[in-house]
Amino acid sequence: MEIPGLEVKREEESLDLSYAFDVETVPTLLRFENGEVVERTVGWNRDIWRKITGVADLGEGLPEHRPGCGSRALDFPKPVDTSHLASRRVTIGSQEDDIEACIARGWSDGLPVVPPTPARVARMLTGTHRDAQEIVAVIPPDLAECTVEKVAVNAVLAGCEPSYMPVVLAAVEAACTDEFNMHGLLATTYFSGPVIVVNGPIAKRIGMNSGVNALGQGNRANSSIGRALQLVIRNVGGGRPGGVDRATLGNPGKLSFCFAEDEANSPWEGLAEEHGVEGDAVTLFCGEGPRGVVDQISRTPESLAKSFAVCLRTVAHPKLVLGFDAMLIVSPEHASRFKEAGWTKQRLRDEIYANLNFPGAELIRGAQGIEEGLPEGFKDATLPKFTPNGLLIVHAGGGAGLFSAIVGGWVAGETGSKPVTRAIT
Amino acid sequence: MTELLDPTSEREPSHRPLAKRPADITGKTVGLLDISKPRGDVFLDRLQAALEKKGVKVERFKKPTFTKPAPADLRHEIETKCDLVIEALAD
Amino acid sequence: MHDTVALEAAGIPSVFVASSEFVEAAEAQSQALGAEPMRVFVPHPIQDRTDDEMRDIADAAVDEVLNRLLNV
Repeated sequence: MEIPGLEVKREEESLDLSYAFDVETVPTLLRFENGEVVERTVGWNRDIWRKITGVADLGEGLPEHRPGCGSRALDFPKPVDTSHLASRRVTIGSQEDDIEACIARGWSDGLPVVPPTPARVARMLTGTHRDAQEIVAVIPPDLAECTVEKVAVNAVLAGCEPSYMPVVLAAVEAACTDEFNMHGLLATTYFSGPVIVVNGPIAKRIGMNSGVNALGQGNRANSSIGRALQLVIRNVGGGRPGGVDRATLGNPGKLSFCFAEDEANSPWEGLAEEHGVEGDAVTLFCGEGPRGVVDQISRTPESLAKSFAVCLRTVAHPKLVLGFDAMLIVSPEHASRFKEAGWTKQRLRDEIYANLNFPGAELIRGAQGIEEGLPEGFKDATLPKFTPNGLLIVHAGGGAGLFSAIVGGWVAGETGSKPVTRAIT
Repeated sequence: MTELLDPTSEREPSHRPLAKRPADITGKTVGLLDISKPRGDVFLDRLQAALEKKGVKVERFKKPTFTKPAPADLRHEIETKCDLVIEALAD
Repeated sequence: MHDTVALEAAGIPSVFVASSEFVEAAEAQSQALGAEPMRVFVPHPIQDRTDDEMRDIADAAVDEVLNRLLNV
């Protein structure tokens, strides 16, 4: 349009002016004084336009007023500004498939990953209020500083949604504490990998699974959160199989092992709460793959507790005691036995421990015809299977099935790892 | 050109890593892959002689055509038999 | 260069020998493939060289070729 006495700015193909001035309806008329917008009107109203432009005969012959239409700027949202992202840019070859390119550069855990474009990483960062350049943790084995942004890049690789970011961040923090000893866990020939248990309302909010097939496949949050932690360790920390990771066999959970505790139906307090952390929290535990416990007959809590105990005896080896931790995952049907009898979690734990004391004579090397075992000096002692804090108990699983699970842990104590609970912020 | 953000600690260069190089040639088998352009065979014959004089075992291979990557079978054979490979001669 | 890139990915140190005419094409290929394979360039032209000349070119290239294959 031509308006005598006024300079008309033409908007070309780009929508930069529309973005800059939040234009949602066209036409929009803006009047500037000294570079600032002082008057604005939306849609066509001849009287208002005449007043704002000061052109008395503006729009003569046009209808008095017409509503506007939606601006194209609403159909094409402003591209996300990614210039503030600090990670090194890696240019992919024009002949390279972007997923294959990530795998070829060693960024994958063996499965395809989501290529971390700047736009995807920027979107992932909207899931956390934390500053992108804040250092989250120092990652073993390379002891590399890891920013929120680097976690986001790996969360993209893993297939996370932005809403999972707070959980991933808490898991990275917890895993890299001295007590958890991620470096030791990586470098061992043992089976274990980091297992993440999530407590609090965040689990449901982000769509985690604490029920049917809780330890299995099919849930994006469960699978990608566990995967993101392992990718951070691989890519930022430099810990990978064949390198620092020398596990003889490992276990499938090293790809990802993360689930939510079922607190709604649990007769007991949650794992994090037991560890003094209320609300949203993660607990990291060094675990191997889960093994099933079948007890479809026990009606009494005493009998079921004994079933758990005899199965727990076999963690690592029936003759090895005090060396290894474990996590017992009690499913709802099994838990209801204890609920009906009014047993607290501690009562269950005490009962299990009472059933896990053994005479040293059974445990020493050569006993029962097995050369493995404790040194001869323990012959006359009576020993418990687990250290006082060595058995974690959580509640998860589908409502049908008289099956619980044992996840054997790694080495207990100073040389090994302690479970670590961390609030999710 | 697609740009991605580097997920690593950035202590290493970001391009695809090369295979680890051995310290020396002793006991290694070197594959000579002829891309089948004319005169390449004379070049490779001479390389073979030079390598054999150094006590290196040499295996010879030939691509069916220089216009396409080596067929998977040929590549697999090379990977199985050789520790190091020289491909020649493009012009 | 696809071959040497594939061989490197399989763990086999490789080097690609080409005439100097190939320098820019090799760089473009390398960028397109997202890889930096080792290459050695020999003097152009190749096609009209005599056998003796080819052998001289080979002699001159041996050290550089080996250099690219070993951890020197």
